[in-house]
Amino acid sequence: MTLALFLVIAAALSLLVILGVTVSRGLILSPRPALAQKIEPLDIEAFRTLVDPAETEYLHRRLPAAEFRKVQRERLRATAAYVRVAGNNAVLLTVVGQAALVAGDPDTVEAARQLVNGALLLRRNATMAMLRIRLALIWPHSGLAGAPVLDGYERLNGSAMLLGRLQNPAVPVRIAAML
Amino acid sequence: MLQAHSPLWNYLSVGPNLFLLAVALLLFKRGLSRQFPAFFAFAILDALGELMVYGADVAPFVTAEGFWRTVWVYLVVSSLLKFLVIAAVFSQLLAPYSAISRLGRTFIRGIGAAMVLFAGVLAGFAHGDSNYHLISGAHLLEQTVFVIESGVILFIFLFAAYFHLAWDRLPFGILLGFGISSCIHLATWGVIANASPSDQTRTLFAFLNMGTFQLCVLIWLYYVLVPQKMVAKSAVPLPDNTLAVWNRELERLLQQ
Repeated sequence: MTLALFLVIAAALSLLVILGVTVSRGLILSPRPALAQKIEPLDIEAFRTLVDPAETEYLHRRLPAAEFRKVQRERLRATAAYVRVAGNNAVLLTVVGQAALVAGDPDTVEAARQLVNGALLLRRNATMAMLRIRLALIWPHSGLAGAPVLDGYERLNGSAMLLGRLQNPAVPVRIAAML
Repeated sequence: MLQAHSPLWNYLSVGPNLFLLAVALLLFKRGLSRQFPAFFAFAILDALGELMVYGADVAPFVTAEGFWRTVWVYLVVSSLLKFLVIAAVFSQLLAPYSAISRLGRTFIRGIGAAMVLFAGVLAGFAHGDSNYHLISGAHLLEQTVFVIESGVILFIFLFAAYFHLAWDRLPFGILLGFGISSCIHLATWGVIANASPSDQTRTLFAFLNMGTFQLCVLIWLYYVLVPQKMVAKSAVPLPDNTLAVWNRELERLLQQ
């Protein structure tokens, strides 16, 4: 009887999840323009400093062990916040890129495909990095594990800018002016 | 009304299978059978298999043992086809996303293996609901197949939702039908195989299973009949302010 009850509950929960995903699928099929506005800017320079192994090594050498662990945990929490933002941005860019995949222009479609794949890779790396950060919070001497996310985010910038230029030809003028 | 071999019972034993054959015919007519060969084969063979089981149930010359052997053959073939369809749908879902294709395949293999192990353990704990191994074995096989199927389908839905993957219309409908069917069947077969319910409850469960199958066939019919709305996707322009931030970051990168 216990086994039967367990299976009934498991089946009911699975059904709820499947129906929930089905309902939320509408958001993926027709992304609202407001979605793109939810992309949060990320201070890449600060992020780079946080995940720099040389910085960690310097702190390790200069600080007493207990102080180092405390500081390192703070840095890990800050890194987790950056990784979370990068992961969320990756999700939004996936949706933005998928919406652009139906464009008639082959260049735009190719740029959108690159953006989607880059965003998915970043999402995957962000998830792995979050797991490693959680482990590192227990053992602060291990690495910060945010570097793959930082690299992926920088690559994604290029893809997003290319797609942005193709979608809105007015923007390259501004980019050229800035450079 | 809710009794074995009542008019409703007979309809639910035959009707959904005729609808499923209609789905196969529509797939063929619209040239979708080449795109979805596994589902096309499933639609034909599962419908014929169910009709064969129904025929064995009502034909007076078929013995009880003959009926259960027919059920076994149908179960094995139908289960294999279902897993083929699920694998094909997952493969199609991942096809445009090279970045996570390998990850998805690795995960699905792991989840599949874990679910087989888990279903085996559950079957080991089940005490069986009949003295005849042919009957209790068939019920346990149903439970085992639906444990694995619902676990794998749940994983695919969660994986796609986590990465916000865009589904094509028909593969989504196919998996949705299998998902609903596997969850309801898992619950009913879990109770039948483990809780020894009364004959009346078993009959009600049979109606629930057949009704669910009818619903799933209608879902598949809907997704085959109603074409994909191409206008549903509208390009979302990247926000200006974010581009400005990215531009600054790019500028900083170039200066390094």
